[in-house]
Amino acid sequence: MQKRYLKIMLVTLVCTALILTLSFLGCKKEEAAGGASMQVKTYKDPSEITIGFSLWTMQFTFFQNVEKGVKDACKDFGFKYVMIDQNSDATKMVQDINALVGQKVSGIVITPVDPGAIGPAVENARKNGIPVVCADIGKSGPVNALLISDNFKGGQLAAEFLAGKLNDTSKPLGLGNLLPQWTYARQRGEGFLAKAMELGYNVAANIIVQNPSAEGGYDTMQQILSAVPDVAGVFFCSGREAVGAAQAIQASGKNILSVGYNGDPEEFQAMKDGILNATVLQQPYYIGYRSVEILKEILLDGKFYENVEVPVDVKLVTPENMDEIAAEILEKTGNSAFPTE
Amino acid sequence: MDELRSRQLKQKLGLFWGNFGLPLIFILIVIVFSITSPNFATSYNLLSNFGFASYVGIAAIGMTFVIMTGNFDISIGSMLALVGVLGSSFIPKIGGVGGVLSTVAIASFLGFINGIFVTKLRIPAFITTLGMLYVFRSLAYIYTNNVPVYISDRFWLYFGNGKLFGVIPFPILLMVICYLVAYLILRKSPVGRYIIAVGTNAKAAALSGINVDNIKILVFTLLGLFVGIASIVNSANLGAANPGLMGQNYEFQVITAVVLGGTALSGGNGSLGGSLVAALIVTFLGNGMGLMQVNSYWQLVATGLVMIFAVSLNKLKFYLLGQGE
Repeated sequence: MQKRYLKIMLVTLVCTALILTLSFLGCKKEEAAGGASMQVKTYKDPSEITIGFSLWTMQFTFFQNVEKGVKDACKDFGFKYVMIDQNSDATKMVQDINALVGQKVSGIVITPVDPGAIGPAVENARKNGIPVVCADIGKSGPVNALLISDNFKGGQLAAEFLAGKLNDTSKPLGLGNLLPQWTYARQRGEGFLAKAMELGYNVAANIIVQNPSAEGGYDTMQQILSAVPDVAGVFFCSGREAVGAAQAIQASGKNILSVGYNGDPEEFQAMKDGILNATVLQQPYYIGYRSVEILKEILLDGKFYENVEVPVDVKLVTPENMDEIAAEILEKTGNSAFPTE
Repeated sequence: MDELRSRQLKQKLGLFWGNFGLPLIFILIVIVFSITSPNFATSYNLLSNFGFASYVGIAAIGMTFVIMTGNFDISIGSMLALVGVLGSSFIPKIGGVGGVLSTVAIASFLGFINGIFVTKLRIPAFITTLGMLYVFRSLAYIYTNNVPVYISDRFWLYFGNGKLFGVIPFPILLMVICYLVAYLILRKSPVGRYIIAVGTNAKAAALSGINVDNIKILVFTLLGLFVGIASIVNSANLGAANPGLMGQNYEFQVITAVVLGGTALSGGNGSLGGSLVAALIVTFLGNGMGLMQVNSYWQLVATGLVMIFAVSLNKLKFYLLGQGE
């Protein structure tokens, strides 16, 4: 009896290996025959167009504003709109993109939780003639366009602000950097380092925030304080981390300037409370809106976009211009720049 | 006489529900979504979902075995990430085939280690696998310095994105084969009988001459093997192996599928078919609600409620069979 079932299992395994080999070889042949360029279907009537949006999460104000931009643009251009929340899950993201392809949407906007994981799903969408635009974060493999904040410039603005306030090149600076996987966002740190060096400042501590959160920022700031006790100014490359770092500075009782990045409500509040000195504001609403505008250009106007990187401008927010910028944000997005009660 | 007839009817209904209850719920879900969402019942969407179900479905086989022996393993999410980054990082040196084989081998070895801790060191499975959850995830971070491993090898990618005859997603075939092999092990080989015996009453099994420790080590090793296969499918779907994002909450999804499928956490009683159908239910439910534009937070609420509903219906089987309270 046992031998019989061993035989059955062996035959099953051999058959599997055979099918796998044959089908894989078949697939290779198909690939060799197929072309790399995509065929996009163009439309005349905007009401026939459906835009699918796969979003990292609706938990954070930044992404809520990206979503509002996408939604408003669809409304303005007369497109139908479908949104699926990735719930911060890369596997769900891939399944969602696939579901959008199954729904035969006309174009896809993605704000990916893991930019490294969109490759095969985007390839599949484009094979099906669906153009893909990444709204922020990053990409892997070809997409039609990627809208990304001018992160390098943002880092430079932070260094310029600290240099302008300190006005003494002998004072050391610190950097709360991002994890290596965030290729595009890491340019914030690169911009900061380049500008600081250009202005003659020494960035004496460059530490990665291992736990991307306010707590992680707090811990990293303490590490910077231990490594460089006379640090005079710090730049943290993300909003929540910057707020955590500002709280660590406050707890230390030292007079250290701090700059954040994003323009999160927590940062606006921290500036209002006088514990954060500035932040670099991104434009999530514009990123969302412009992503759909690019799809409109592809789908209605037949314009060609292939792997185009569109930099989105950033600006410095300080306690001096904070209220003015908050009013602008409220007008554009309907969301307060400050935390809601 | 009437009482006898009523008992017989109850037993028939109980058996029917036991065999077909879960598939009926699955069919009901498919029908409801087909009516409510015009894009749900397309061949593309249905086939894609069968393929995606393999992510949970394949590991659910191994977890069914482990739970049947009265244990469970909560380290599999971290194991999925660790073996994914290890195997895919070997591709440049040993090629796609070598990468795939080494992934499965390493995963089996990690499962074997879990089994050794549980049996030879007598550390409860919960504590062992909780510890390993941290160890595996941390090793994945250390090995990669938290930088994802990007995969471009076509052989590896085929496991997640390949299509048999250009139509059927390859993960479906892989999942079917895994279930067939598992079925043969569980129902047609002495090993299967030993697994059931160990889960039902380990002491009695030991007295009958079964090496209980070896059976437990075997099921943990088999779980590792299936997690290895699932890791290849998942990282191929994603085109990358990410040490931090791969396999988050995976253990809960897999254990949910196994329990929903009718395997008792107390061990002994288990159903491979049930685990498969439950994995399909979880996948199709998520997809259907997404297509219906249900808010993602409500999706989680609905998924939780459907699971409680399905498990409570499972209780109905025991009531009808006169085996439950």
